[in-house]
Amino acid sequence: MVRLWLNHRPFSIQERLDVQATSRQKLFFIAPAIVYLLAFSVFPLIYSLTVSLTDLNIARPHTGSFIGAGNYIRLFTPGSLFLKALYNTFFITFIAIPAEIILGYFIARLFYTARDVKGISVLRTVYIIPIMITPLIFGLTWSYILNPLLGIMNHILMLLHLSPQPWFGDPKTAIYSIIGVDIWQWTPFVVMLILAGLLNISQDLFEAAEVDGASWYHKVFHIEVPLIKRVIGIALIIRLMDVFRMFDLIYASTKGGPGGSTEVVSFFAYRESFNYYNTGIGSSASLIALVLIIFLSMLFVRFSRE
Amino acid sequence: MEQRALRRVGAFLAIVLPVLLIATASLAEVDWKAELGDHSGKTLRVIMIADPWVTAFEKINPEFEKLTGAKVIIDSYGYDATHEKQVLEGTQKSGAFDVIVLDSPWVGEFWEAGYVEDLKGYIEKTKPEVVEYDDFVEVFRVISDWKGHIVGMPFGAYFVTLDYRKDLFDQEGLTPPTTFTEWKKIAAHFTGNKKYPGMYGIAMNNLQGSPVGQAWFEYIWNLGGKPFKSCYPGSADPYADVTPMIDSPEGVAVVNLFKEMLQYGPPGALSMAWDERAQAFASGRVAMVSAWSVRTPIFLDPNRSSIADKFAPAVIPAKKGLKPVPPVGGWVMGISKYSKQKDLAWDYTKWFTSVDIHKKFVLAGGPPSRYTAMQDSELVSKFPWFKTIEKSAAMAYADCRPRIPESFEIISTVGIYVSRALTGELSAEEAMGKANAQIRDLLKKGGYNMSE
Repeated sequence: MVRLWLNHRPFSIQERLDVQATSRQKLFFIAPAIVYLLAFSVFPLIYSLTVSLTDLNIARPHTGSFIGAGNYIRLFTPGSLFLKALYNTFFITFIAIPAEIILGYFIARLFYTARDVKGISVLRTVYIIPIMITPLIFGLTWSYILNPLLGIMNHILMLLHLSPQPWFGDPKTAIYSIIGVDIWQWTPFVVMLILAGLLNISQDLFEAAEVDGASWYHKVFHIEVPLIKRVIGIALIIRLMDVFRMFDLIYASTKGGPGGSTEVVSFFAYRESFNYYNTGIGSSASLIALVLIIFLSMLFVRFSRE
Repeated sequence: MEQRALRRVGAFLAIVLPVLLIATASLAEVDWKAELGDHSGKTLRVIMIADPWVTAFEKINPEFEKLTGAKVIIDSYGYDATHEKQVLEGTQKSGAFDVIVLDSPWVGEFWEAGYVEDLKGYIEKTKPEVVEYDDFVEVFRVISDWKGHIVGMPFGAYFVTLDYRKDLFDQEGLTPPTTFTEWKKIAAHFTGNKKYPGMYGIAMNNLQGSPVGQAWFEYIWNLGGKPFKSCYPGSADPYADVTPMIDSPEGVAVVNLFKEMLQYGPPGALSMAWDERAQAFASGRVAMVSAWSVRTPIFLDPNRSSIADKFAPAVIPAKKGLKPVPPVGGWVMGISKYSKQKDLAWDYTKWFTSVDIHKKFVLAGGPPSRYTAMQDSELVSKFPWFKTIEKSAAMAYADCRPRIPESFEIISTVGIYVSRALTGELSAEEAMGKANAQIRDLLKKGGYNMSE
């Protein structure tokens, strides 16, 4: 390439003008995208960063003074609710997402095996219904289902001679109830992705493995998993972002309680920003969440590439 | 002798005539056709909480639409969402809503932020017999007033009453508790009682945030405490010295009381808020509930309650030796500063809150907020519980929940720490100490006077 360039005769003025015109044209065509990015991504990010360094409260006059890292110091004060929110967010991430991936793989495998069965496409469609429900609606619906006194879940447990559970009403069970609902809603999404990955694997590989006398676990760990690794990586990244954005379910069911046991970063940022209008603290919490999402996403990308 | 007799007649007339005049004026029907403007083609937007009374608004509003030609649209939200939406509309100087229905603790916040009109001028320009302002319950008139400005018409007064299962109380020979000691005993009696399987003593507001935060402010007075140094019934200026007293022995005692009562609550008691505690009582599985009076019509409705004919309300209990301070709250109807049709907004406000329409509102399930409604023979015979409301109104304290601009954050902060104490994560002392420190910082930032 370099040699070609060196051997090339000098550009004529006309050719140079043509190249410049092409660059201008390119710039012209990508300008809307650049403007869009600057206006809706870069500017809000910089603005949010600026606000996070102030004591701005949009509902009170005479606020917005520069306080440096004051908000960040407050958020990371030992025993603060934000640290609890951070812990809970990680807890949900590290329990719910692996469970969704493992469960998602097995269910996808079932759908894959039964791919030629008549009517399976209908079943697949029915299975993904939870993803289509508005998060706030399923949050409310589940809070009715899991109402300890009047909900149907405890009624069923009692019919089965099992003891009723407090679900969202006890700090020991509330976070697991949240994780359970999250798994119920988002496993179908993981199933969809993994199933697409499985369907893309060439049948020749399985046939060749069978000829070589490979057992089922050889097929799973040496053919399927390596070939759907990237799909799993994408599922991990999307779900990670979802968990860090988890809001509706908490808003509709527990409001972060009891005793902060289901407090998550998004809900904390929402309360500070939209209940108390402490925009400075809300921005700081959101930015910390953003940095963590980027960091964890990079880790997952690296995992899926290896 | 004659002179004395004349003086007596004069004094008698001086007392009786104004009463008669008010009574006559109240009875006289307002000519709404003449009183209201023609607003054909206009649309009035009202923002309010999605409380059970929304259906009452929807029943009554067509009458206003017929009179004025305007269309009335009501947008209702959950408690926190109502505040959030109203403040955001205010910060954006948006005229999307003409009428703003505000909760009583937000009165100071909305006035100081300049989101609402002062209704004093509107009232003065309107015929007194149309507004009948002095007919609104006195304590609720105080609530709607902020530094001499009327922030909203005090049309939706709520009081907390102790609703109890009269049938079971009669069966057990019990009377409604007047002290917390009796209250606890009765709650214990019905919990786990083999005679009443599946029955629990009490349902309370324990959900983290505003619900349990508000509950703390409802109980503090009845345990002999106060949230701020100069905030107490009879105080000349409740906010003259706002040194927080959240971690006072009484403040801690409230948390310990809530904690003690958990054992008499239904499973999942920590996740109960206003609706859940009302549903639990309406389902017939709870013996007592302290609930805002706006939910009493739900308890009375056989379609929504299994105890419609089995319960009665009473004045809430207090610590032995203390006079109860029943919590007062509810909603005032204000006009948005940024509304582009304030004349229509005032026409609606004065019409909706007037004596005759208020009676219709009450008949449709709204809370009585005027003396004429509380004493109306037709209403009282239909709703005998109004007598308890009237009794509670006479003992209530307008600032039982703070009304300063920071009140939402103060109540929510208390609610977060009470919840952490109820789960056992923090002791009651630790939780209230932390809440106190956080609230002190908040008030300091707001530039309030604190002597300690």
